[in-house]
Amino acid sequence: MSLFPGGGVALGKLGLTEEDIMDEIESGKRDLVKELVAMSSREQIQAIRVLPMCLEDKKHIRSQVHDSKLSKHGLQLTCFTDCSEQVSRSFRRCGANVVSARQAMKLWQGTMKEVGGKFGTSVLSYFIFLKWLLMFNVFSFLINFGFVTVPQLIQPPNKTAAVGFRGLELLTGAGYFNQTVLYYGGYSNGTIGNEPVYDMQLAYFFTIAAYLVLCAVSLIYSVARSFQKNFVLSTTGSAWRLLCSWDFSITSEKAIRQRKNNLRVQLKESLSERSQRAHISTSAKLKQFGIHLGTWLISTALALASCAAIYYLGLYNLEVIKDSQDSISLLTEASTLLLPFVVSLINLIIPLLYSLINKTEKYSNPRTQIYVIILRNVFLKMGILGILCYYWMYNVPTTISCWESFIGQDLYRLVIIDFIFSMLESFFGEFLHNVIGTRCLPSLGVPEFDIARNVLDLIYAQTLAWIGIYFSPLLPLIQMIKLFLMFYLKKVSLNQNCQPPRRSGRAAQMQTIFIALLFFPSFVGALSMVAYTVWSLKPSEHCGPFQGLNITFEAVALWMDRQGSVSESMWPVWIYNNVIKSELFFYLISLIILVLIFFFWQITQGRKLLITLLREQIVNEGKDKAFLLDKLQKLQKEKQTTASSQRPYRQIPQSFDRRQEIEPDYDQDFEDLPGRPLPEEDTGPVGPPFTSALIQAMMARRQAEEEEEEGY
Amino acid sequence: MGNKQTIFTPQQLDAYQDCTFFTRKEILRLFHRYRDLAPHLVPLDYTSRPEVKLPYELIGSMPELKVHPQTSPSQDPGTTRLNTALMQRIAEVFSEDGEGNMTLDDFLDMFSVLSEMAPRDLKDIRSVILRFKIYDFNNDDYICKSDLEKTLNKLTRNELTEDELRMVCEKVIDEADLDNDGRLSLEDFQHMIVRAPDFLSTFHIRI
Repeated sequence: MSLFPGGGVALGKLGLTEEDIMDEIESGKRDLVKELVAMSSREQIQAIRVLPMCLEDKKHIRSQVHDSKLSKHGLQLTCFTDCSEQVSRSFRRCGANVVSARQAMKLWQGTMKEVGGKFGTSVLSYFIFLKWLLMFNVFSFLINFGFVTVPQLIQPPNKTAAVGFRGLELLTGAGYFNQTVLYYGGYSNGTIGNEPVYDMQLAYFFTIAAYLVLCAVSLIYSVARSFQKNFVLSTTGSAWRLLCSWDFSITSEKAIRQRKNNLRVQLKESLSERSQRAHISTSAKLKQFGIHLGTWLISTALALASCAAIYYLGLYNLEVIKDSQDSISLLTEASTLLLPFVVSLINLIIPLLYSLINKTEKYSNPRTQIYVIILRNVFLKMGILGILCYYWMYNVPTTISCWESFIGQDLYRLVIIDFIFSMLESFFGEFLHNVIGTRCLPSLGVPEFDIARNVLDLIYAQTLAWIGIYFSPLLPLIQMIKLFLMFYLKKVSLNQNCQPPRRSGRAAQMQTIFIALLFFPSFVGALSMVAYTVWSLKPSEHCGPFQGLNITFEAVALWMDRQGSVSESMWPVWIYNNVIKSELFFYLISLIILVLIFFFWQITQGRKLLITLLREQIVNEGKDKAFLLDKLQKLQKEKQTTASSQRPYRQIPQSFDRRQEIEPDYDQDFEDLPGRPLPEEDTGPVGPPFTSALIQAMMARRQAEEEEEEGY
Repeated sequence: MGNKQTIFTPQQLDAYQDCTFFTRKEILRLFHRYRDLAPHLVPLDYTSRPEVKLPYELIGSMPELKVHPQTSPSQDPGTTRLNTALMQRIAEVFSEDGEGNMTLDDFLDMFSVLSEMAPRDLKDIRSVILRFKIYDFNNDDYICKSDLEKTLNKLTRNELTEDELRMVCEKVIDEADLDNDGRLSLEDFQHMIVRAPDFLSTFHIRI
């Protein structure tokens, strides 16, 4: 079905003189061909591909373009132009093949298609998020390995008291792994090589700093872009959005049926929402407020209790380790697993309690419910991480000698146990739920894939990885393996156990929120902890690349001093002394940024005003158009009535026996115009909205003639 | 260059490659999918441009389109068409006769617009127009109330009551109609899409 000027079929039914319409269409096509000829051949192809026409017409246009091009060049050098065309075409084909080959090699492309087809786009967004996090870790691992580990492996430091591999190390990370390059303690503070000299201290510091800065830039960019796409242009309308949310990419019959059910339920809810809003009495409001307050108090209390428990457990753990500092027995090592175990257990149970609590509350908006759950979970997880960081920053450095390695091991344990618990969670949460739901308690139902909880788990795991970069440079490798396995685990669990989500919706906004959460408490928290370690804590005396310094950052300061005394490259030293060390520079930058923010905010306000004005203008234009068409009809009618006595009787085409309604009815505005056609149901094909005003005017004239004829 | 194939002339293949988002291999693969639907109807040699149209039932049996009429005994055959998803509408929009019977060109066209290679933004006016036409059941280039009601029925399996249908349709037109003519034109539709960012990303069929 052709979309370009109207399609002759629709207009033909009007019984208008076909030559006029065909002329219009032809001249439109000629203009299009002229435009296409003027473009380069690559742009031509792109333009042809997105033309809103059917394939036949496109092929026709394409051949016309070729013909006119050939005729332009005439007979000159036809052989050469042919050959160059062939060559450029074959290059294009090669390019297309390369692109499609690259797409085929993209990681997990087929699996994600499958998941998206069965469960829809919002569940797919979880997997896309996982893949994105995997990329961060791959990049981190590559640069850490390349710049920090490999040089160290070339010239390993002297090891003291190596312990044999016992197998428990895979879980605890201590023992055999203690002195390896897995942790901070495995790196020396010397230099590698003779000329040029590779300074391990600087390499360690700058690699990690560069990675964190790049991460920050990438995250800020993603948050901003996602925010702009999904929030800035949002509307208040909900019904329309529900209609638009029909997901065409779902291919399973069951999922489609379920989608329809969900849509129906959601539409009913949104309708009932409106009617319910007015009927809440004050006592009910107070009761609701009381319930909300109560649940918030309970959840905060739970979070605080878990944080306190973890802190005291950590202190107890430290006592145990300190007592057996020299002879690390198997039992002591195993007891270090207690802390991560408890942390993961809390992370598993308390969110379940939260969702139970949430069920007792009633929110006016289902979206608010999801936001509240997410907020509570974020508080819990960030609280746990915060208390762990505090414990690591204040208690550990004073008690243990090689404390950075110890923190690295703690993080390693946390990551591994977290992974084990995720596996158990999938098993118990989804598999058993499915079994119970289908066999024993049908009222429980098949489980849904809880996107929010899973994404928050991912964010928590990634925060651990980011904190751990400074203390254990190879931790990204562990995280990579973990994410890789998690993908397949979740996919299998999804396929076997879950049903598609009931609430379709707002995947894009949730995506923005998740990316924002990844940036704000997660990355910023990890960054601030690493920054605090680098700037304020005294590195351990006997191990690691920064031994003997007062603070880690001193390494850079000393390097700058050395450079200054060499007096060959003055500008980095100058930058260091006057820019990075001076506070005035930072004050100025902050001030400038604040001023810029204020300007941009004002621009945004102005644009909002502009949008409202333009919207009003559209409405007015519509009214103007209606008014002018009316006038035109009236004039035509008058002309007809004066000339009707001389004109012979005209044949009315039999195929056209219905009147069109062209303009909307404006009873209140145009009551005084006589002979205006009555508004009618739209039953027949009306002229397409894409054609020019000329055709519309002709249709108006035709309509006037028809009315006139029917009056006979 | 490439394998020798005798289904299309090189010029035909070039034309297809230039006008759709598919590569040569994909076009041949789609041709074979098309042919598999009715091997006795579709010839292996398209160089002479045969006029072959596959009826809608065959097209609808493709697993990607999932338009099996639901053959539960509680529904009479008259309502089976109403109960299938909007995929049927897509086939109707792309077919020349408006009934869903497609030639190879229509078939390729449909999958080209819906493929993932097509640009997924508002610049792809074609998928916007296509989605508009899917909702426009009476083909008058406006989405009026009756179109909306039919759409809602298809999307909710006919289980909304009359009142609810009416209220939802009114709400939708309220929100979306900019020039206040009581129905949605393409411009209104486009404006709405700008504000529903999920829209275009959910609009492709993976083949």
